[in-house]
Amino acid sequence: MKPVMKPRKRVIAAALLACGLAASAFLSVPQPQAQAAVKAQPALGGIPKDVARVMGKYCVDCHGGAKQKGNVRFDTFATLGAEDRAELLTKANESIHFEEMPPSGKPQPTDAEREKLLAWFSTQLGKSADKGLKDKMRYPHYGNVVDHDLLFSGTIDDKAYTPARRWLINPMIFKERVMDVFELEGRERQNFASREFYGVTNPFVLSADSGVKDYDIGQLSGGHLLVMLNNAKWIAGKQVFAAKHHGTNHRGVKHENPKDNWYPRNFGPESFKAILNSEAKPTDQQLTDAIQQQFALALGRSADKEEVIKYLKLMRSMVDMAGNEQALQQMCTAVLLESEFLYRIEFGGGKEDAYGRKKLTPHEAAYAISYALGDRKPDEALLQAAASGRLLTKADYRREVERLLDDEEYYRGPVDPSLSGGHYQSNVVSHPRIVRFFRDFFGYRAAASVFKDPPRAEARYQNPGRGTVGSPGWLIYEADLIVTWHVENDKNVFENLLTSDKYFVYPQLTGEKGKQIIDEWKLVWNTLKDKPWQTEPEKVLAENIDFIKQQKSLKITKVEDKRAVSNFVTNMRFFSDYFPKGKTPYPRGPWTHGYYINHSIFYSLPPTPMRGQYYQKPDSPEYWAKKQQETHEDGFKWWDYPLEQPFSIPNRKGILSHPAWLIAHSLNFHTDPIKRGRWIREKLLAGRVPDVPITVDAQVPEHPEKTFRQRVEEVTAPDECWKCHKYMNPVGLPFEAFDDFGRYRTEELMEHPDNLIKAGNGKTTFDEYPTKPIRVSGALDGTNDSRLDGPVDDPFELIDKLAKSERVRQSIIRHAFRFYMGRNEMLSDSQTLIDADRAYVESGGSFRAVIVSLLTSDSFMYRKEMND
Amino acid sequence: MPTRRELIKAGLYALGAVGGSTLLPKHLLAEGGAASLAGNKAPTRFIFIHKGNGLLPDTLVPPSFDADLKSKEKAKEAYSVDLDGHTLPGWMEPLAGHAQNMTILQGLSGKMCTTGHHTWCSSLGAFKANERLSSIKWATVDFELAKMFPSPFEHIELACFPGGGGNSRGNINGIEKGFSARGPQQPNYAFGSPAVAMQELFKSVSEDEAAQVLYKLDRQMLQFVAGNESGIASELQGVEQAKVGNYAESVEAIRERNRKVEAMADQIRKAMPDLEKNYYAEDVSTTDRQKGFVEILLSTLTSGMTNVIAFTADELGTAYTGLPKIENERVNLHDVGHGKGFGNMEALDIRDSVRNQHAKLIDTIVSRLKATPEITGKGNMFDNTVLFYFPDNGETHHSKGSEWPFVVMAGDNTKLNMGRRYIRLPKYGQQGHKTLGNMWTTVLNAYGNPIEHYGAPDSGLDKFGIDQKGAIKQFLS
Repeated sequence: MKPVMKPRKRVIAAALLACGLAASAFLSVPQPQAQAAVKAQPALGGIPKDVARVMGKYCVDCHGGAKQKGNVRFDTFATLGAEDRAELLTKANESIHFEEMPPSGKPQPTDAEREKLLAWFSTQLGKSADKGLKDKMRYPHYGNVVDHDLLFSGTIDDKAYTPARRWLINPMIFKERVMDVFELEGRERQNFASREFYGVTNPFVLSADSGVKDYDIGQLSGGHLLVMLNNAKWIAGKQVFAAKHHGTNHRGVKHENPKDNWYPRNFGPESFKAILNSEAKPTDQQLTDAIQQQFALALGRSADKEEVIKYLKLMRSMVDMAGNEQALQQMCTAVLLESEFLYRIEFGGGKEDAYGRKKLTPHEAAYAISYALGDRKPDEALLQAAASGRLLTKADYRREVERLLDDEEYYRGPVDPSLSGGHYQSNVVSHPRIVRFFRDFFGYRAAASVFKDPPRAEARYQNPGRGTVGSPGWLIYEADLIVTWHVENDKNVFENLLTSDKYFVYPQLTGEKGKQIIDEWKLVWNTLKDKPWQTEPEKVLAENIDFIKQQKSLKITKVEDKRAVSNFVTNMRFFSDYFPKGKTPYPRGPWTHGYYINHSIFYSLPPTPMRGQYYQKPDSPEYWAKKQQETHEDGFKWWDYPLEQPFSIPNRKGILSHPAWLIAHSLNFHTDPIKRGRWIREKLLAGRVPDVPITVDAQVPEHPEKTFRQRVEEVTAPDECWKCHKYMNPVGLPFEAFDDFGRYRTEELMEHPDNLIKAGNGKTTFDEYPTKPIRVSGALDGTNDSRLDGPVDDPFELIDKLAKSERVRQSIIRHAFRFYMGRNEMLSDSQTLIDADRAYVESGGSFRAVIVSLLTSDSFMYRKEMND
Repeated sequence: MPTRRELIKAGLYALGAVGGSTLLPKHLLAEGGAASLAGNKAPTRFIFIHKGNGLLPDTLVPPSFDADLKSKEKAKEAYSVDLDGHTLPGWMEPLAGHAQNMTILQGLSGKMCTTGHHTWCSSLGAFKANERLSSIKWATVDFELAKMFPSPFEHIELACFPGGGGNSRGNINGIEKGFSARGPQQPNYAFGSPAVAMQELFKSVSEDEAAQVLYKLDRQMLQFVAGNESGIASELQGVEQAKVGNYAESVEAIRERNRKVEAMADQIRKAMPDLEKNYYAEDVSTTDRQKGFVEILLSTLTSGMTNVIAFTADELGTAYTGLPKIENERVNLHDVGHGKGFGNMEALDIRDSVRNQHAKLIDTIVSRLKATPEITGKGNMFDNTVLFYFPDNGETHHSKGSEWPFVVMAGDNTKLNMGRRYIRLPKYGQQGHKTLGNMWTTVLNAYGNPIEHYGAPDSGLDKFGIDQKGAIKQFLS
């Protein structure tokens, strides 16, 4: 059996390669090393001589008496207190381990010298330092430490496996598990997909940051327990309440709290009812039946003999103390408080193979497959397959995975229920988890966490607030739609996501639905436009009320209605802005209740009318004056709404130019080329950017006359900054073609108080600033493809090149692996990754093929006990 | 919200604890009651009382101010005056006897919070909280302080929940998500009525037979869960051990807390509030609900069950009943915010009445703590107490967070150097301007939490070149 952790040399090579350096930089001993060896060694008090000698050669020039780069110095080590020593050594330990120091271009220590340093750090910091580093490797940010080229080289023949584990369930699975406990099905289950249980707080929240986050590294904490204590009591209370009232007319049922009057009306296990309906003490068999019932509902398995004995003892004691009902309720609570209720259990079973691996038990495999494809427990067919010995081989896995991918209904649900607000619901798809992979990967969900100053975007940006996710919510929703569209087409998925210029914008009334409304509106306009609707609206309305009533979308049914006349005039005025010019409005009046759909400008499309635009009375001079102001020279300023979507938008290319992604990777007042560049380096190029050094307080300086790019370039130019920023700036700065709201631009607004030309009121007038041309050139490196690496003129060229890169394709495969396995890849997963990549290529870019490949791999099927 | 340096420190302290590092809250492991935890030294106690519908800055200005001060006040210039010799605004009259312990603080801003009608955890956490768990960025300041002054219950939250919309939603007589947060994405739970608070907090000493049985059932169930999970954890090692071990230890910690509370039974019984029947009624008036909560608040402090209490006196959605002169009106605070009167009272008079009701509650708290000898025998309990009274959403009904007025009542041994003054800090955008984050940082620093800055930054202040980080130096003694 080969070692699982790659040898040290491999790690070093990986780190160097990941940073875009040639392998030879490590493999050949650099010349300057010999020179360094003969230099006089400064004294390093408190550090053993042999270690001090190595540090003197490689560290002290920059971190000693003469220079203290990054405010780090070793010459005063002896004078430091324990806390400062630990801080210094912790950082040094990581820098040496991850090959961040000495920086490239400087003399590098040999393996032996590096080991000497690490060994001493380890003795100083204790075992926890090594453990800390090992632990770090399990975190998402360290996924790319494993060498990409080696992973895909085909030279690794280690057998793949996943460490035996508990994997903390995610918030969506938790919700489904609660529904399982209540045995909810059909419409009631669907309703709860976007609704919360009164007494249940989801103990889990996934971070909105970019990248796959649902890893097996989570641990239950005291916080989870406190939440679960309340949850378990409420759920168990409802179970018992439901069983008690099962079969009775729910209208007559009284609730302790009238506001909390829901209960699962179809829930009434016979085993529960037997205990509740018995005036005598329950028999052991009755108690056992109830225990087994609750285990099946909550944990999806039977209680074993030992568990039955324990729970029986508990229940008997409780029956004596408080009676049947309380005993049942407490038992149900206790089962829900089993840590297993909050974990996925994957330990494997049966005999170890020659490589120390065990296959997932069929029962575990059923759950692993089901939670890979959705949030729900396995369906009956999958459980049957597991129970009847038909979930053992790769072919078995493939059959079930393909069957479930073909099933359009079992996992159907909203992509992100938390996105749903008063005016839109997250889109419902057959396999929400597939869309979730891409939204995690691209990280555009984080747009909702970046607060913006609305007047900077003509007051058209609505920050998330109470009951709404605001403008970013719409943009995220629309990004979800475009991902769904590409995933459902399932051809060249990665390339299309990166390069397609097709988007959905205000997608809710497209196609036939929207066309029907527009046709009605046009009919009204064409029929009544020549009538005196502006001067005698009451008369026109009265004379045509039968006709108008038939046009349902106008919602005018009676002349006598208080608002009928103003509604009529408002509609006609709205139509007059569009139809005479041959344009199409978005098929919903901007005066309607709760209308706040103003985000077309973030795609650099023309605006749509804002709420209030058509409110004024027909004869209001303010209205006509305002209308005059808002009319462009060509007589039309609004967006001509495309009823067929997705549609092409100029100056956009794929998700990386979608406003949701651009906002997610921006700051409150600025773009964030560093974050955008880092995303490309880490997510698409499988590269790694070292952590920000502890001493760096990264700030872009203010300067009224310089563009943001200029200021970023200046502040990141010094060597100590550039050693990391060279991985981010060249691929991030081309995205300066878009501002921090995602709007395409060729000039930057110089938003500095010193440059203010004219202050606006923030509602109808806005601060005016001068502009300066921007540069959007950059450079691509790290694809390892000489046809692609090199300068780029703009983000679109960069995106095109990225989409053609084999490394980019493989990097996305690596992230898909992490999503479906819940962990970082190891070298032993090499074959799994190669197979998945091949499946994608050979299928013409099918992501479904990637899923099938991953879920039938050894990495997915095998578990191995780890002793650390 | 530890700094990187603190995280590293934490790592250092955890050295040698391989496989056994615990997330067990320290307070749950501490010995005895709140006072004895700190040895012979009395703990500091913190009371956070917040109100909805904004706190109008003008209403805190002493009417005895001369023209010069009034002019400064109007211009919102920074200044500070001794409250001695000044009369307090009418609604504060119940606090006149405590002026020597009072600070009126104006000029803080809170634009890093969610503002407007409802702000949920924003004011206590100095971040934008918008009803989604994911918006809770870190533990609110009261929880940070509770960690520093441990007690068996760590922290207790009482709330007059909103009945018709608002934060947080749910059963106004139940235990619901409160306005404090234990940590990132971890809302705290608050007691919504004196009845439920009595039942839950004092169940260990309840004389009601049914309540005793329920208590014993809970205890037995927890014992079972603790044993169960510890058994699983004992067979594991490494990472897998931690996945179950932390959970098992947390269950054990709650049991340990219960044991401590049981050990304090005599203290608790002695301090147990003797509430009249009307406080237990389902339709208890808002003012009686508040009075009942104050009795419970005092009992939990004097018994040593906790050192930190957060109390939501009202929220915008709280339907007020029991206000003097309009006792039978169901006052909608939202309507009041929009200038609507109820009964024969104008909106501003109702606001005044609401604040006056709060001042009476604060007087009860301060007076009773002053009358209670400190457990160490030196001085009284109020000597070691700080009470903050402030709005949950800033300066008005539709707040922008441009101002966040405070009334601070502090005993003689407390560490904030603010006493007996009316202080107006530089206004928003002026050099020296301070935020809610600076305020909470000051409190944390004063009591030994070295955090560089507590709270989210207000990006709008950047353009003024104001350094937002850190404590308000002049308040640190």
